[in-house]
Amino acid sequence: MIAYFVKRFVWLLLTVWVVFTLTWILANFSPGTPFTSERSFPPEIEANLRRRYNLDKPAYVRYMYDLDNLLRFDLGVSTKQVDFTVNELVALCWPVSASLGLLALAWAAIVGLVAGVVSAARRGSLADFSLMSLATLGIALPNFVIAGFCILLFGFLIPLLPPAGWGGPRYMLLPAFCLGAPYAAYIARIARTGMLDVLSQDYVRTARAKGLSRRAVILKHALPTAVIPVVSFLGPAVAGIITGSLVIEKVFAIPGIGYSFVQSAIDNDTPMAMGIVVLYTILLFTMNTLVDAAYTWLDPRVSWDDV
Amino acid sequence: MSPRNLLSILFVVAVPLAGIIWSIDASRLPPADLTFNNSTEIKTVDPALVNGQPEGRIVNALFEGLVRLSPQERLPVTGGPKEWPGVAESWEVSEDGRTYTFYLRKDAKWSNGDPVTAEDYRYSMRRFLSPLTAAEYAKQGWYLVNGKKFTSAGAYLVPGDRVEVELNLEPGEHQTKTGELVKGTLMRKVPETMPKDQKERDKIQQRFYVDVDGQERCYVVTDPALGETIPDGALACRMVMLDFDKVGIRVVDPHTLITELANPTPFWLQLLGFYPLFPVHRGCLEKYGAPDWTRPENIVTNGPYRIGFRRPRDRVRLVKNENYWNRDNVRLETVDALAVEKTTTSLNMYILGDVDWIQEPPPNLLRELMESNPPRDDFNPAPQFGTYYYKLNVDRGALGDNRVRRALSLALDREDIIRTAVRGPQQPAFSLVPPGVPGYVQGTCAPRNPQLARQLIAEAGYPNGNGFPSIEILYNTHEAHRAVAELVRKQWQQTLGITVKLRNEAWPAYQDRLRMTRYDVGRQAWIGDYIDPNTFLDLYVSDNENNQTNWSNEEYDRLIADAERETDAQARLDILHNAEVLLMAEGPIIPIYFYYSRNMVRPHVRGFYNNALDFHPLHSMWIDRSGATVNEFMRSAKK
Repeated sequence: MIAYFVKRFVWLLLTVWVVFTLTWILANFSPGTPFTSERSFPPEIEANLRRRYNLDKPAYVRYMYDLDNLLRFDLGVSTKQVDFTVNELVALCWPVSASLGLLALAWAAIVGLVAGVVSAARRGSLADFSLMSLATLGIALPNFVIAGFCILLFGFLIPLLPPAGWGGPRYMLLPAFCLGAPYAAYIARIARTGMLDVLSQDYVRTARAKGLSRRAVILKHALPTAVIPVVSFLGPAVAGIITGSLVIEKVFAIPGIGYSFVQSAIDNDTPMAMGIVVLYTILLFTMNTLVDAAYTWLDPRVSWDDV
Repeated sequence: MSPRNLLSILFVVAVPLAGIIWSIDASRLPPADLTFNNSTEIKTVDPALVNGQPEGRIVNALFEGLVRLSPQERLPVTGGPKEWPGVAESWEVSEDGRTYTFYLRKDAKWSNGDPVTAEDYRYSMRRFLSPLTAAEYAKQGWYLVNGKKFTSAGAYLVPGDRVEVELNLEPGEHQTKTGELVKGTLMRKVPETMPKDQKERDKIQQRFYVDVDGQERCYVVTDPALGETIPDGALACRMVMLDFDKVGIRVVDPHTLITELANPTPFWLQLLGFYPLFPVHRGCLEKYGAPDWTRPENIVTNGPYRIGFRRPRDRVRLVKNENYWNRDNVRLETVDALAVEKTTTSLNMYILGDVDWIQEPPPNLLRELMESNPPRDDFNPAPQFGTYYYKLNVDRGALGDNRVRRALSLALDREDIIRTAVRGPQQPAFSLVPPGVPGYVQGTCAPRNPQLARQLIAEAGYPNGNGFPSIEILYNTHEAHRAVAELVRKQWQQTLGITVKLRNEAWPAYQDRLRMTRYDVGRQAWIGDYIDPNTFLDLYVSDNENNQTNWSNEEYDRLIADAERETDAQARLDILHNAEVLLMAEGPIIPIYFYYSRNMVRPHVRGFYNNALDFHPLHSMWIDRSGATVNEFMRSAKK
């Protein structure tokens, strides 16, 4: 087990380096500079700006600077929000996205799993049909549409919740619901398929044959195996959902980090874009590692050597 | 329940819960007296580095210049404390209009209790102009004698100039510190001129030979601490620039400051009231360094407010500065500036009462708001000092022909563009300079005339558009710009029979194309920083880097230069008028519409005035929920 994690850690370092290098090349050879704005500057001021951002140095020198800084976890100052270092921005914005994402995922996982299991257990019934129709709707409707409905309903028609902003638990409910909706739908569908698959297996029939109740079979014997596809889905999903969503953050004015994922690239804010890419790489890699580790726990047939 | 299930449930429920509690912990704030949407996250609160209105609103509340501009017309305030003057109590202007002597009020203090002195303004001006600060707005300080020469580091230095050499900082010192200054006389530069191309100049290390107390020293801008090498026989330094004592700003005594301008600049006082020239506290900058000095717990300000709390992309909370000299007239104790970008979200928050002032309702609702019956008591669009226009690259084929450029302008139906594409209160534009400058008459181009347009294009050799090379309209990707471009294309194609294509690019690529003049027709907008035609007309002199049209006209350059030197205010405006007439006749640009402000302000917000710069200082506002009278914002509204 320890060997597994050590091996994965080495791979993580390698992956971060490769991703960093590729992103660096893309960022540094795309048009524009961090100071591209509506106004052009006199050549004198532009020369000063170039020196300030080290743009007067050859590319390999800049790459070595940046790599060196990365090794010291110093990602520099954002060029669009110069009052903050990238580390500070991540430290301030990421917890917002992370807590919202976890709340969204918590409801999505619970509701999705229950819906999936119920559908599978009562295959072909009215409950199955309505739950799966709802899930299809959840996948098909973009979350800004759901957000629009929610704001209209709970902000204006039944003024219970604030329409946007950040400042207390009340502010989290609508965005967490909208953020989690498509995930809940996916999880429901995956859980249903997984459960149906397991229910047709021999060992389930054996369990039923030895006289266990249907409920016990489903919950005790079928469920752990049936959730494996859900867990595989959850790994990357956690990495995705806790790094925020541009759309949800814009619609609900949430000071999370999802916005920077897109905007830092558009703004040529290279330090911020690099920081985010590195953060996301680490998160995704960690979650995938944990998912692989979870297989050994959920499925007795999988051992540490297999993952 | 088995222990395994219990564990997984704990994991799924407890971890998020802990995270949520943790994040909410720091999220709660009591509501502010006034909350407004600042429309975007600000880049910085450092006056020298600000580059837009959202930053300006905050900087204007935190710091105070020598001069303050009135909340009503945005003109320099000369009255008593109730009128909101700046730190200068009074000033004198020399007869030639070039020397201003400012007398600073003795009770002006920084938020930490230090007195605000003339030296603070000199220090801040040096920092603002220094090539090391790389201020984007540095041009605003170039009206001072030698201002440009100082900012340009070595570029314009000639042998015999007094220079100051700023040495590298000690390791571990904050970048905000000024390095040790060595003063001397420049003897020669090797090489004497640097290549124009930025990439070429990066390859050369220029040597500056300076006479320091009779001794010749050779300096090169390089920093060994960054791993850069020092060439043989040279000394390393951070920057070589003109001696700042030669720049037109002088401290006479702690409360008297003199500025000397290269030309009589009638808008100099307006510039001093414009936020980039506001001062910063040297001690604070040098103690904490950037960006730490801007932290709420560190920052020292001299304006009506200080920062109470700041969360990126959420809000900046401003708290009244109890050390501000004019604190008795500051009525709002706390102000929240939100950073909501989506106009729909912003409007939702406004309607539900979370926000008291938004700058821009969603464009597709403008008509409805304007035509609402009964008229709204919180929406009053007003003319703004800005123009939306297309510029033409005169080096591109047919666009080099003046008749073609005029035909393009004559073929436009600007009313239709506003009605169909813009759908707001904007007004058609026939000049570059918007209305609203007292004493100035705009130079205009002719209104729509399809017949004349067709005739001109035929005269240019393209009857009915035959043989006309297709042209492309370049704009940055945005719904509103596309709508305008599509309509312009339709009008040109129908009226002139020419082929027009559209090209949209993301912001940086669009800017690059304009800069390298790789376009035919380009979208452009310009919002004036101060009320003077010069802020617009100066753009089209030959060497202005924002010209970007390849259009160059000696007569025009001469007129703008004449206006700069003219001491008589009205005569100057007349020269500028002639320049604009020439510009419009030559037609390198096609004005489309003049901007209108679109603020929505709740009736209980008082002290909010519509003005052409669409700038509304927070310190003059207060809240009055009695509803006894109509607020200042709505007083000018049509009944």
